[in-house]
Amino acid sequence: MKMRKFVALAAVASMLIGSLAGCASGAAEETAGGAAAGDDAIQNLINATTGTVSLTVWASEEDQAYTQGLIDQFIAAYPDVSFDIQLGSESESTCRDTVLTDIEAAADVFAFADDQIQALVDAGALQPISAYYTYDVAAENVAGAVDAATVDGQLYAYPMTADNGYFMFYDSSVFTEEDVQSLDSMIAAAEAAGTKIGMDLSSGWYLYSFFAGAGLEVSLNDDGVTNTCTWNAAGGTDVAQAIIDYFGTGVLVNMTDDEQATAIANGEISACVNGTWRAETAEEAWGENYAAAKLPTYSLAGTQTQMSSFSGCKLIGVNAYSDNIGWAMLLAEFLTNEQAQIGRFNERGLGPSNIAASASPEVQANPAIAALAAQADYATPQRVGGNYWAPSQTLGEILASGNPDGADLQTLLDTAVEGIEAPVA
Amino acid sequence: MENAVHKNDTFYEKELKLKSKKKSETTSTIVINALIAIFALIWIIPIVWLFVTAFSKYRGIDTAHFFPAQGWTLDNFKTVLFEPDSVVQYVAWFKNTFIIALFSCLISTAFVLMVSYTFSCMRFKGRQSMMKFSIILNMFPGVLSMIAIYFVMKQIGLTNSHLGMVIVYSAGSGLGYLICKGFMDTIPTSIREAARLDGASEFEIFFKIILPLSKPIIVYTVISSFLAPWADFVFAKLMLNSGISSDWTVAIGLYNMLGKDLKSHYFSVFCAGGLLISIPISILFILMQKYYVEGVTGGASKG
Amino acid sequence: MASNKEVHASSAGEAFVNFFKGIKAYFTDFGTAISKGDTAVKLSTVLMGAGYFARNKIVVGLLTMIYEVLFVLMCIFYAAPNLAKFGTLGTTVRSTAFDPVTMQNTVIQGDNSFLILLNSVIALFMIFVFVLTWIHNIKRQYELQLDKEKGNHINTFVEDVKSLVNGRFNITLMTLPTLGVVLMNVIPILILIAIAFTNYDQQHMPPSSLFTWVGLTNFRNLVNLSNNSAFGYAFFRVLGWTLVWAFFSTFTCFLGGIVMAKLITYRKVKFPKFWRTLFVVTIAVPQFVTLLLVRYFFGDTGIVNSICASTGITSFLQSIGLVANHLTYIPFLTHPGWAKFMIVMINIWVGVPYQMLVATGVLLNIPESQIESAKLDGANAWQIFWHITMPYVMFVEGPTLITDFVRNINNFNVIYLLTQDTFVTTNQTLANANAKEVDLLVTWLFRLTNEYYNYKMASVIGIIVFVICAVFSLIAFSKFLSGGREESYQ
Repeated sequence: MKMRKFVALAAVASMLIGSLAGCASGAAEETAGGAAAGDDAIQNLINATTGTVSLTVWASEEDQAYTQGLIDQFIAAYPDVSFDIQLGSESESTCRDTVLTDIEAAADVFAFADDQIQALVDAGALQPISAYYTYDVAAENVAGAVDAATVDGQLYAYPMTADNGYFMFYDSSVFTEEDVQSLDSMIAAAEAAGTKIGMDLSSGWYLYSFFAGAGLEVSLNDDGVTNTCTWNAAGGTDVAQAIIDYFGTGVLVNMTDDEQATAIANGEISACVNGTWRAETAEEAWGENYAAAKLPTYSLAGTQTQMSSFSGCKLIGVNAYSDNIGWAMLLAEFLTNEQAQIGRFNERGLGPSNIAASASPEVQANPAIAALAAQADYATPQRVGGNYWAPSQTLGEILASGNPDGADLQTLLDTAVEGIEAPVA
Repeated sequence: MENAVHKNDTFYEKELKLKSKKKSETTSTIVINALIAIFALIWIIPIVWLFVTAFSKYRGIDTAHFFPAQGWTLDNFKTVLFEPDSVVQYVAWFKNTFIIALFSCLISTAFVLMVSYTFSCMRFKGRQSMMKFSIILNMFPGVLSMIAIYFVMKQIGLTNSHLGMVIVYSAGSGLGYLICKGFMDTIPTSIREAARLDGASEFEIFFKIILPLSKPIIVYTVISSFLAPWADFVFAKLMLNSGISSDWTVAIGLYNMLGKDLKSHYFSVFCAGGLLISIPISILFILMQKYYVEGVTGGASKG
Repeated sequence: MASNKEVHASSAGEAFVNFFKGIKAYFTDFGTAISKGDTAVKLSTVLMGAGYFARNKIVVGLLTMIYEVLFVLMCIFYAAPNLAKFGTLGTTVRSTAFDPVTMQNTVIQGDNSFLILLNSVIALFMIFVFVLTWIHNIKRQYELQLDKEKGNHINTFVEDVKSLVNGRFNITLMTLPTLGVVLMNVIPILILIAIAFTNYDQQHMPPSSLFTWVGLTNFRNLVNLSNNSAFGYAFFRVLGWTLVWAFFSTFTCFLGGIVMAKLITYRKVKFPKFWRTLFVVTIAVPQFVTLLLVRYFFGDTGIVNSICASTGITSFLQSIGLVANHLTYIPFLTHPGWAKFMIVMINIWVGVPYQMLVATGVLLNIPESQIESAKLDGANAWQIFWHITMPYVMFVEGPTLITDFVRNINNFNVIYLLTQDTFVTTNQTLANANAKEVDLLVTWLFRLTNEYYNYKMASVIGIIVFVICAVFSLIAFSKFLSGGREESYQ
């Protein structure tokens, strides 16, 4: 008994090292070995399975029809096993909240946005992906997506899409490709055309682009909860001043995603900083003139500085408390493999994280996904603790409204940073 | 209501004889009617917006136009009633909510009446302290005890079940006895005394004397407890957390439509759904208005 | 009715004294029963049915014995294992090891602090109830002994059952509602009070991690105004607005209801029924539908703003300084001052129709004679309203007013639905405590639990809300609802 346990542990350890190595260097041999062991393991699992395998899957409301199709295919792929797979709907953006309320009641397999991974891992909700069976998760997905699914060197989730970041949508009848290179020329063009540019600055997610562009960082500490933030370091006030100036023009306007949707539709704005989920709205409104580009540069104390961004992807995780871990992992692999991702792009227009899938000409020709790819060089995965959001949201609101109280910018930044770095009470 | 008008009539007529200026009377009639029309307009505008948006072709939130700018359609209602998808399961939700509301309303009403009768018509040791204790207990913010209730229900195995929802909505209802007890306090003691002399038991007094006399307050209690499950989106969302949308109640379903990813496609459907539940509730309310007022004021006046 | 010796406490102090007198009497009776009881009574301290058997009450005796056995079983199989861990709230963390070959997790089950806490609280509550029944049982046995000695009639089982629909009907009526309240209110509240003394937050979340007792640390964090405690600052800000809000929302709706009721019943108004129905319809639409609609209605780019901008209202407000110059819209729900104003206004919209219904009923009952005599004394309509109508309405509606006030302290819906996702605070210290200017204590604690999993602080705030509300309702109770008044109407 003891011996068997030891063997099992050793196997875990070796797989762990394997996946670490795979992650860091993409070593082909290690990963190939894992996959070969996979077929035996699947056979073991089939043999060991008696009775019906019950699984619950959570996917977003919009993804229901497509996911159901994949589940049906999955069931058909294992004719010897009887499955009872329930598909529930849970928005990827709120998945964390529902899972953490009661992990044991959460689905076996669930989709979520990558910013939630830290909280999910901390709560012990995610099964570490220490082995793979049908495809090499770490090697077949783009590095950014694998990074986003990795915490402390351990892979915890299966990348599903790589399009959850933001970039610039624009109406090419108003802006030229030249214009969208810099915020200054964009504002000039918009002013000339009598339209506006939308951006949700009352959100730490978008506010990050200005500060990170200037090399000021916010990052998660090793404890996985608190942040380190350098926004109040030298140069911070310049960034703040630049933001105030841009939003002071009245051409760059602070509006929420909803408001942007309406504003695009009724022609109030002709460009906005937003993500793929707004592609449909923009395409409908601008038709042939619909275009997208990486974020522009902005003028920071006289020098043009490239705006940065959070990259983002959607992941599928396996509940560590699942009663059918093996099947849950296989299903998660099935929902995220190359075929599934190609299908997801074709059906829903979501940008694949799978390298082969994203290389296809159709994917490459999609303006939004091309813009994301161009922005990828300036994007970082979103790794911040919960205390980042409220203070940064407030800072963004203050700056976008032109610092109405006339507070000293340095003090403003100091307070915000104090909040962002505050220990979790 | 007719009475009120007449009472005021006599009073104001006398007053007017003193002034007797027909001209100012017509002006003030116009002014006061205009005033009430303006108030009514303010109150009804959002409802009208709900109504017209439910017929809008544009499915997102049109924040720029009051009336649908892209034309009118019945499609939203069609989606709500006949084309269930993973987001809209309106008919199932309506059924779930109706069943939950029906049973929780039966239990709540029974509990409230039982507690009210005990506190109002019976005298026993510890009655005062029990009354105080329950009033205080009723003040605890339900939002906070939610998570504890969830796990208590989970221990019993009643999460994700409509029975569990019925229990959540009705089990603690005994605490809301105040208005009903106030009403029962207004029923003269002599009636009960007489019945007791005739040899009636407390049980018979409760069923044969007090209940028939409490019709308004029963209607009031029934309406308020029946309405609660239609409006609660916080508790229901927590308890029915399997993600299977056909298990939801109307409130969770509608609230869900306004989620970040959905509202630009489902806002007008939300309005259609909201309108559809409002219609039966409005009719219920208008029909029961008389009892409702009698119940609540009877209770309130003799608190 | 058997016992009419009810105590009416007129003042808080008296109530306090009576409370302790009651407790003293309770235990004195118990002591008497134990010391003066015969063997059967004394035996029933161990075998609870003993006294009943001795008085030939076999069925009741058996039922009591079954109750005792059930309790013992509960102790062994439920209370003991949980209470054993109650002191630490668990020590073993769950750990798993995944075997890639069999694709199974080897799980070492850990302790779930929350379930230990929950089960312990339930167990302690059951033990408490058992002790009460045990004491009561012994007293009852002693009463039976005395009855027998005096040769009084001792009820048979059938008579006992019959008394449940007559003399002891209150027990029959109260059992189920009480059970429900225990399940839905008492147990959860006890659990939350316990959580306030633990470190249950995002870093200590069951089932994967443990939490444990930390004493009064959380309370200290809350009231600590020195060393940059954002929580302390936020707490007093939020508490202040909560009370201001509760006051304004209660009184505006109350007055609005009366004015509206007066207006509609006014003689010169045509079609009163039509108008009333119109207002009633607005009550019937569920709040979450109307409030969410209204939120978009008054959004920064909402319809109202479009209209205000095109009619020049926005620029007028700017010129008189009510709207900041850099804005192109009126920040109805996004600027603290405006938002607070709008929330109160929208609450009037929500609350007045209901209050109008109530007020209509109350106004009908005003004694005609008083108005007549005032009129003869030469009072005008306005004076009559303030000196006769209002005092009467206040008298009648006073108790509800205080209930409404307390309900408004906990008015989750209005604030949450109008400001969630749209209101962003510009007060950095508030933001650091995850609070907003427009938050009530309840919405704050809801966000703390739902978005930040900060259960310990939420519990502390919850307890404080509870205490505030309890004080107000106790005042209300002793002012308006205590015994004397109650009887005077019957």
